Formats: sequence, C-alpha cells, structure tokens
Amino acid sequence: MRKKSVELTVLNPRGMVEAKSAFAPNPRVKDLAGKRVGLYSNGKPGMDNFYTVFEELLKKKYPTVTVKVLTGSFEITDKDAKDWSPQIDTFVYAVGD
Amino acid sequence: MAGTVKLEKLGKPGVFINCDTFDDDAKSAAADNGMPTVRRRIVKSSEFYKLRGTVKDVRPLVEKVFDDIIAALTVPLTPAEANPPGAKQADDGPTEITVTGESFPEAIEELNTQFLEKHWSDGLPLVPPTPERVRWMLAGTARAPHEVIGRVNPKQGLATIEKIAINAVMAGAKPEYLPVIIAAMEALTDEYYDDLHILVSAGSFSLIIVVGGPIADEINMNSGIGFLGHGWRANNTVGRAVRLSTLNIGKMWPGANDMGLTGRVSPHTFYTFAENARQSPWPPYHASRGFKATDSTVTVATIGGSSPMQNFYGGMIGTWTAQGVLDNMVNDIIRTDRGLFGLWGAKGVGQYPGSGVGARSHLIVLFPELAEELKKMGFDQTSLQDEIYKRTCVRYEELSPADRRGIQTGIETGVVPAERKAVFQEALKPGGMVPVLITPENLHFFVAGGAPGCAFSFSYFRLPPYNRIAILTKLVTGATLTKAGSIE
Repeated sequence: MRKKSVELTVLNPRGMVEAKSAFAPNPRVKDLAGKRVGLYSNGKPGMDNFYTVFEELLKKKYPTVTVKVLTGSFEITDKDAKDWSPQIDTFVYAVGD
Repeated sequence: MAGTVKLEKLGKPGVFINCDTFDDDAKSAAADNGMPTVRRRIVKSSEFYKLRGTVKDVRPLVEKVFDDIIAALTVPLTPAEANPPGAKQADDGPTEITVTGESFPEAIEELNTQFLEKHWSDGLPLVPPTPERVRWMLAGTARAPHEVIGRVNPKQGLATIEKIAINAVMAGAKPEYLPVIIAAMEALTDEYYDDLHILVSAGSFSLIIVVGGPIADEINMNSGIGFLGHGWRANNTVGRAVRLSTLNIGKMWPGANDMGLTGRVSPHTFYTFAENARQSPWPPYHASRGFKATDSTVTVATIGGSSPMQNFYGGMIGTWTAQGVLDNMVNDIIRTDRGLFGLWGAKGVGQYPGSGVGARSHLIVLFPELAEELKKMGFDQTSLQDEIYKRTCVRYEELSPADRRGIQTGIETGVVPAERKAVFQEALKPGGMVPVLITPENLHFFVAGGAPGCAFSFSYFRLPPYNRIAILTKLVTGATLTKAGSIE
C-alpha cells in the first residue's frame, strides 16, 4: 500500500495511572443456613422494598438465617464498616444505582 | 463499590448489586478500588427503576435474581477471581502517536477520528498536540514539565504540567493561558477538593471557574456582557482545557464511568468567566479568601446539575432596584433552603454527617451596577453576607417537628460545626430565629457582567459527599508571558 504523504506526530494526552496491588475477594460461605446475612443500602428509595422481598425469600429458603439490615452512606463509613462487619458473615451491598 | 471492597477487606465475603446501565462504571470502580474481581450481580435498569416503588411491584424482579445473588454469596471463587491480575499502568499507548493522510486536513481529520474513538476527545475538533505545539504551550510557564500537581479522579491519573499543556493545546488555548489552567487544575486536584462528585456523579453536577485579578485582562478574558458565552478565546479555551485535562488524565467517559445522567450543561467549557474588576466597587472575591487584592487567582467551585442557575433579575426588561434584587436573593434562598432543615439530620452521602445533603452554599454573581448600588446602601461583601444570613432566618414557630429534629441532630452529629453550635442552640427555642445558612460565609459574591446586567446564583451542598471542600481558590504562579502571575 502506498505510504500516505502527510505524517502528523502528536503527544499522548492521557495521564499516567500508577500500578496498584489487586486484592482477591474473600472465600465464599459454603451455605447460608445459620449464617448472619447483612443487607446494606444507602437508603435510595426502592432498595428497602427490594430488600424486604429478598429477606422474605431468604428466610423461606434458609429458616435459620439471621438478617442484619443497615442503611448508611453511599460508601459505608469506616465506623459503620467496623461496627457492622463483626455482626455479619456475608453481605449484599446495593446503592440503587 | 468502594464500600463493598471495604467490607471485603475486613474479611467479609459479599456481592455488589448494580443496574446494567452502571455495569461498566461498577467494573471500573472495582478495579479503581483494588478488587477487580469483586462479585457483582446485575439487575436491569429498565425493570428496577420502574418496579422498585412498592414491595408488590418489585417482587417479580427479586424472585428473578434471587438465586443468582445467593450463588454469588456461596459458589466458590473461580481461580481467575481468586487470583486477580495486579492493576498495571493503564495502557494508553506510546507517548507519541503518528497519524497519516494524503493532506494535512486529512491527517487532522484522522487524528480527530482516532482520538474520539479512544475517548480522548470531548467531541469537538481538536488542535493537534504536536511536540512543537506543546513546547510552544509550555513556554507560558516557568514550571517544570514533569512536575506533578495532583491526581485526577476517578482513576487518580497523575496531572503533570506537560499533560495539562498537551490538553491545553488540544483545547485551542494560548501559552499565556496555561498558568490559569494549571491553577484551576491545582484547585481541582487539591487533596481536599471533591473532584469525584463533579466529574462522575449521576447528578450531572458542573463546575464554575472564575479568574480574578489582573491576569484576566492580560489574557483578554470577557468579564462584561456575555461573560458566560462564546466568542472569547480565553474564557472558552481555559474551560475546555480543564475539561479535556480531567477527561484524559482522570480517564472518564459518559455512560462508562461518568454517569451524569443528563450530561452537563456547558460540558465543553464548564462555566468559565472573569470577575469584572474594572467596574466592581469592591475588592475581588479572592481577597476574602486570604489573597491580596492585587493577586491573580482562579476559583473553582462545584455547582448544581441540570438547572444550575437561579435568576434574581436586574437587566433591561423590567425596572429594578438594588433592594428589589436583594429581596429576590433572600426570598429564593429561604424558598429553597428552608425545606432542607430535615436533612441536616441525615447521615450523609459520604463519610461524614451532612456530606452531600442538607445545608447549601450559594455563589452569587452580581452585575457591576448592582454592586455599586449595594455599596451606596452601605454594603460591602461581608455586611452583605450578614444581611442575607439574617434575613433568611426562619422563626422557630414556623418549623415543623421534622425540621426541628433535623437541626437538633445536625447540632449533635457535627453537621453544625462546633463554633456555630451555640448560635443554633440559642435559635432552636421559642422566639428564636433559625438560620437556613450554617454561616454567613456560605455566601460567595462575584462581580461580573456589564450594564445592563443580571444577577443570578449557583448553589451546591455546603459539604460535598466524597471529600471536604467544593470551592477553592488558587494563586496563579509561574507565568512567563504575563506580568500577573509571574511572581512565585
């Protein structure tokens, strides 16, 4: 193919992003029976309804499950995370987005 | 997503639920937060937002995704999930890129096509950032090209003087504007400025960039009639350079990780203008922020989204008086802010009480004639703050129980800062007058426009959701082509 007659060299405008370590999620719980399940949301309208049904279905399938609902900020605060995490074995997190 | 990763890092296995519209955003945020393989499950936006209103309506949707969510909590991680690749430096190609064409116009068209395809453009034609043109741009500052001034969200890209200069070339800026653009980027990337909310939030928030001091005239910025409009290269390209710098250094894209639902009004240039120092009877805004009146500065501030301005009038359609415009300001602030008392008690969208919700700040733009008339009435900026603050107080007896609870909770949780607590405790009793503004300093006045002019304001949360501040002024430094801003 014929080489095009005009070459334009330009500089890359993209910012450098420094390499970061990647962490793996935790191993899953084997079964939800007897477990404490956290349901977290930021209180956007509708997630309460979603979780109401979810909790009902969860307790129907796993009668021994305990549900811990927490509503907080979009990103759970450090304090809420520290206080809430010892109360749960696993969790669902949704912010209505 | 950050919250899910935070709980995972505390040892709890979980799942993040997001709508399909936000899936690219969630994926991107997972990587940004150092856990690219965090478990996610998706519900359809087309179903969730319509059905979520009642338990009855949302039930079929929950039933549909229930087993999938349970699986996310119980099915063992795959090897790929358990061994995520370390985040590498974003691969955005070589430092130099060559495009070709049969002619310069064709090569430039090819450049614009490629950059837009890669999401490196704002959609308007770009000036090619050739090495020569970038050197020309860098001649506007004495600062070193590889100096890092900060990091741009959401990817925390490193903002160097050189990268800002490349984007300034693309925006069509001139070298003498570069120190102003750098100052704006220094404000946005300040460790306490909430650039994340303005740049990517679904609320389509926007930015004002106000240039104060003598550099505005030296680079020929418009501060008179039409100051927010087109036709002034400095106004338009300073803002565009900030737009392109944030887009390319922070690496965001509409619908991918910039989830502004309506897009931003004035998306290519933000709201960039200069204070009209020549006609203002008062010291410039930055004098109230600890700078000398003779300094040149840039103030950036986050403002509301799809309908960002409140109009207080003036102008030439009807007659006006300074008292009448002042009354309009007072009435507008009472109307909009008194309904927020209940939210003073909210937990906050972000990490601390009151963040991203409740009490607001107001950035009020006054036209020179109005400022002159207000001065004749005896006001300077400080006494005008006090006047509006006092007149926007609400009688205790007019507050609802929810209003009172909200304010009381705000006092207890620190939404009302310690130095203001006594004021609100005193006000929150029979016969008291309760301010809708936490402090008079939540009013910011800029003088811009011509004669006739029009007064208006932008408003935003007093406390942003993801960091500490949403308005910040920075000194212009390192200028080599203007007298102003040339002294470090």
